[in-house]
Amino acid sequence: MYRVPMIRKELVAASAEPLILSLLARGESYGYAIIQEVKARSGGKLQWTDGMLYPVLHRMEHRGLIKSRWAESETGRKRKYYSLKKDGKTAMARHQEQWSLVHSVLAGLKKEQYV
Amino acid sequence: MFDLEKSIADWRQQMLAAGIRTPVPLEELEIHLRDEIERQVQSGLSRQQVFGIAVKKIGQAPELKSEFKKVNALMEIQKIIKLAGVICVVVASFCPLFIFLAMLLDHRVSSLPKMLAVAVYATTLTTIVLSWRYNHKLLPVIHNQLLRRAVGLACYGGCLLWIRFGIFHFPPGGSHPRSPLLPLLIFGLEWTVMAILGGIGHGLEKAARKNTEQYV
Repeated sequence: MYRVPMIRKELVAASAEPLILSLLARGESYGYAIIQEVKARSGGKLQWTDGMLYPVLHRMEHRGLIKSRWAESETGRKRKYYSLKKDGKTAMARHQEQWSLVHSVLAGLKKEQYV
Repeated sequence: MFDLEKSIADWRQQMLAAGIRTPVPLEELEIHLRDEIERQVQSGLSRQQVFGIAVKKIGQAPELKSEFKKVNALMEIQKIIKLAGVICVVVASFCPLFIFLAMLLDHRVSSLPKMLAVAVYATTLTTIVLSWRYNHKLLPVIHNQLLRRAVGLACYGGCLLWIRFGIFHFPPGGSHPRSPLLPLLIFGLEWTVMAILGGIGHGLEKAARKNTEQYV
């Protein structure tokens, strides 16, 4: 069976923002949980350098796409929770539209190869 | 004997030495490190092994520093631009208030000019607030960052020149005592122009940012 290789770092970087926005659209979350969720959903093929997530989150927060708050988790550990803002929802919709377009073009081309 | 807390403290020192700031983002990174250690410990590895893996996954301090530096630099410049705009807007909102208040409290001034002064100040304030809030929708999107900042800077310069040569040219009631509305309107307009000029730098940044988000 064909195995999907690890995703290239350029694609990982480009997909970081839409993935974070889409995950936060499901509810507030924190850095570690975001990374674990992405890893689980991609079967471990999407690997971020863990620490690099935080500059991305901070940049998105600065751009007004997401907001954050410090709170204590059930385990008593203090965590910084991120959630989506209105501009973030708009940006997410645009990202999804564009990625869907790229996906449909690729899928169409792939289909033609087997016709 | 491996001491996890000491190793984490040493790691913190390395991060601090590399220039990662505390409490944010260092606290956030440490929480992440502890979460990862906690999860990996359950897999049966030793604490020392787990610590090594977690540190590797977090990344090297210089690389992290470089990424945070980019974010911080962006934030600092935009904060300065916003602060300059806020100062212009606040000054333009409050300075005429004192002059209008002096007019309101002057018992020699009749009630009609006083009412006009209140109306003119309310209009001035509303225009200033609206221009600050929505100017990015009217301003062009300048993609070239250098040009955008230069235009913003030129507008601040214009704002300073305006304060020096424009404002106080027509003090309310001073040169046109028989028709109070016109000098009042001109006076209010002068401060509005100052606020608009001062807000352009921030508006241009906002317009460019909104445009980038539109085409992400």
